[in-house]
Amino acid sequence: MNILLIEINPFVQETTPISLGYIASFLKSKGFCVKILTIGQNTSLSSSAFQELISTFKPSLVGFSAYQRIMLYITGLAKFIKSIDNNIKIAIGGPQATFMPSAAFAELPDVDYICRSPGELTLLGIARAIENGTPFLNFSGASYKDDNNAVFDTPELEGYTDLDRYPSAYLSDVFDYSRMREAIMLTSRGCPHHCIYCYTPNAFKHKISFHSVERVVEEIRWIRKKGVNRFWFADPNISYRPSRLIEILDNILKESLEPEIWLQTRADLVTPELLKKMKRAGVRTIAFGLESASERVLSRLGKNITTEKVADAIRLAQNHDIEVELFTIYGLPYETFEDAMKTLEFVKKNKVKIMGNTNSQQLQIYFGTHMARHYEDYNIRPLNNNRPAYLSIGSHYETDHMGRRELHKIQQMWQANSLDGGKRIVS
Amino acid sequence: MCRERNNKTMIKPAFKKIYVILDEQDQGNLEWILQTLSFLYSHLNLTSNIYLVSENLSDSMPQVERIQKNINKFLSEHLFARLYVHIVHPAPPSDMDNIRLCYKYLKQSTDKFDQEGYRHQELPRLILLPVFVPDDQVRPSQLIDLLDELKKSFLLPSLYLNKGTLNLAEDEKLLSLTDKVYYGIGNSKKMTDVVCNLFRQDILDDSLDKIEINDLSMTGPCPDSLIISAQDCNVYSCMEAFLKNESPAKIYETHSQKEFLADYYQQDKSKRDCLGCREQVIGSSVGLPMSPSTNQQTGALLYHLGMLRQESGDDFQAVKNFKQSLNLSPIEETDSVYFRLGLGYTKIGQYDQALKAFESVEIAYQGQYFFHFYKGLCYFETGDYVTALEEFSKALQSKPQHDDRIRILIYTGTCFNNLGKYEQAIDELERARETENNVKEIYNTLGFSYFMIKDYDKSIENLKMAVEIDPFSAIDYASLGSNYREKGDLNMAIGMYQKALALDPGMTSVRENLERLNKNL
Repeated sequence: MNILLIEINPFVQETTPISLGYIASFLKSKGFCVKILTIGQNTSLSSSAFQELISTFKPSLVGFSAYQRIMLYITGLAKFIKSIDNNIKIAIGGPQATFMPSAAFAELPDVDYICRSPGELTLLGIARAIENGTPFLNFSGASYKDDNNAVFDTPELEGYTDLDRYPSAYLSDVFDYSRMREAIMLTSRGCPHHCIYCYTPNAFKHKISFHSVERVVEEIRWIRKKGVNRFWFADPNISYRPSRLIEILDNILKESLEPEIWLQTRADLVTPELLKKMKRAGVRTIAFGLESASERVLSRLGKNITTEKVADAIRLAQNHDIEVELFTIYGLPYETFEDAMKTLEFVKKNKVKIMGNTNSQQLQIYFGTHMARHYEDYNIRPLNNNRPAYLSIGSHYETDHMGRRELHKIQQMWQANSLDGGKRIVS
Repeated sequence: MCRERNNKTMIKPAFKKIYVILDEQDQGNLEWILQTLSFLYSHLNLTSNIYLVSENLSDSMPQVERIQKNINKFLSEHLFARLYVHIVHPAPPSDMDNIRLCYKYLKQSTDKFDQEGYRHQELPRLILLPVFVPDDQVRPSQLIDLLDELKKSFLLPSLYLNKGTLNLAEDEKLLSLTDKVYYGIGNSKKMTDVVCNLFRQDILDDSLDKIEINDLSMTGPCPDSLIISAQDCNVYSCMEAFLKNESPAKIYETHSQKEFLADYYQQDKSKRDCLGCREQVIGSSVGLPMSPSTNQQTGALLYHLGMLRQESGDDFQAVKNFKQSLNLSPIEETDSVYFRLGLGYTKIGQYDQALKAFESVEIAYQGQYFFHFYKGLCYFETGDYVTALEEFSKALQSKPQHDDRIRILIYTGTCFNNLGKYEQAIDELERARETENNVKEIYNTLGFSYFMIKDYDKSIENLKMAVEIDPFSAIDYASLGSNYREKGDLNMAIGMYQKALALDPGMTSVRENLERLNKNL
């Protein structure tokens, strides 16, 4: 049985679809034939070429990585796929889908499944159900809409805690290395913290699970062999266990793998020794989450960190000649215009270049976050209550302290100070 | 059984830009355009651009409106497609009010997509982008009012400027309201020329993008774009095809749109000199009022094109590219350009120019053996053997690679020969022979040196080695003949001269020698 996995984002250049890669290699290991299609700003793809792909590959199941800003495109592609072959089943998964209300099915006429649990196991269940000719029987981790448009939720599925049980996307060669500019790595999944604006802790139930050091190093070794030397470690907190990270870096050094690394972690999870080793092993850039430089605002975000701690971490990294990026957000609850300006000033004062990921963005209230469930408690006023049920509040809101005008002004202030016109790399 | 071994998927490239030249007069042509576009939509990239180019917006409104409706229909059926529609037309001062009205009307028909974008917190999938082609009489203030008004209605205006209107680019307020400035070469306002200049800009932008991400594949076709002309009802696969009036349908005598696409993908592009076209476009952009960073990038592009030409052996074009690159590159990046320019001049025999270029990078390249070698070569070719020897000596001291060392020693020996210092020539050439015994030039140069000091046996010994390596070397047989003649072995001399003439009957001095010897005998 053939399965097509699609990642679409027409607003940014193609990146390595690591999450789909995991699912593809897992499904392949279970005997399915899987293809990944990445559609980015630089992808050359017409509707006729897409139609040809569907008609020749003949997938029984198409899975989409769903994000807020591309939901419209997913609905369009789903409709197009069904117009080619109405028997093809369509599933959406990823951050937008995990906590999307099942009521969204009403506005997603061509979507059959909304995946809620870890993608590998959930899609395996769905794929086997389709293969057995009973597409809506005997699987878990997803909601579905049957042939009579009745909507059902199935029980949750627990993912593996030992991540090595998932076959490696890189070692299984599910990616086209000739087009890969940068390898995206996930050496761990989840986050134990309680930041009220973030999806990850709730999606992973405040737990964190890991790949073994051996597996991580084996992947890096293989990717380097394939000619890719830029690595983007997407773990939310890669130094959550410092000794584990040190072991990975030691191996990189021992084997002279010489990668160029971007990584992110919490500012309270770095030490001078760790940064020194990072630098030696090839870490060019480290990103910390500051969110807000107003202690008053920061203390209410559940992040449990201080601006002083972030400033220390920046200085330490800069002393080791590692470029620093800071994730910041404006439009936070309790934040006034003056508070938002403090954040901009903090970034400038600490000599962090305002470009790439350091370009600030307005808070996005996504499904699954504490904020999305309790927005009224924070005096958040959504601007568009007629949005489709598959979209969360996103950035369409005002707060008690800032209206659209102030939010726009803050955005302009950041753009005016930006070295690259405010292009963010990750969202 | 799954046959997918990896994720490489061959997908036909999609068209990213379509330029439509409108014809206000003929309704029949409009129907043809609508049909053609309707067919092509499904071959458009998921995000693409359509340029509607008109002599007069007011007159073209029925066409523009029909095409826009056509586009709306396509986008409504394909929720994953996005289109930027650029409406390109003159903006005479007398027509400003009409232009305002036209855009007000056109904007209404995009409301649906604006609302859809707002609901999804994203950019609309259909964006109208006016591109004004001002005439020479227009004042900046007249355009400022118009642009300001359009911008407030979320229509992002651009300007197309050429020689006669470049002064508008000096107006800061006007530029601040302009989304993009397109620059045209020359002074023509004819829409066909405007289309070519827009296409040129596209090629330039594509090349600059490539150089920015270090994608150096410049020899392939330019971005997948088409020109559709309502004036002659033809589709052209690129600017060169348009300029040469070569439509794939005409070239291959096929008529169906499907066959046109087959031609486009399989044949038409491969017949074109895409590198030459790209080069011409980039070269012609030099001198346009670009930003300093764009100028620098254009300089880098020209340098890269020069390298490509040098690698393919077209040194005349390489020199042209390097010269243009020098005018745009920042001073700290000119060393390698000067060196490559010097190399280019050397290869086309303009040694004085080459030496001038090399002089500019003396400090940066001093101590690099290849630099001294090429300088020496220029002096050698201009007959300054003494200075050439100095450079070759520096090259030899700078640890050249093995093959290059042999080459430098042969040139050194030849310099000494030309200066009449045959013993020194022999010393250098023997050094070369000690490490490499299979290079003809070592032996025949040695043969010459020994001949000049009248050591005919040694000369013959070396020349025999030369003809052993290259049995078709007429000149070496002739030299052997002269050695035997000097030794008094006239039969051998005649034999060698005859061999030389058999290989190259045009050697008149050998023929004369042979005649003289035959007479003497």
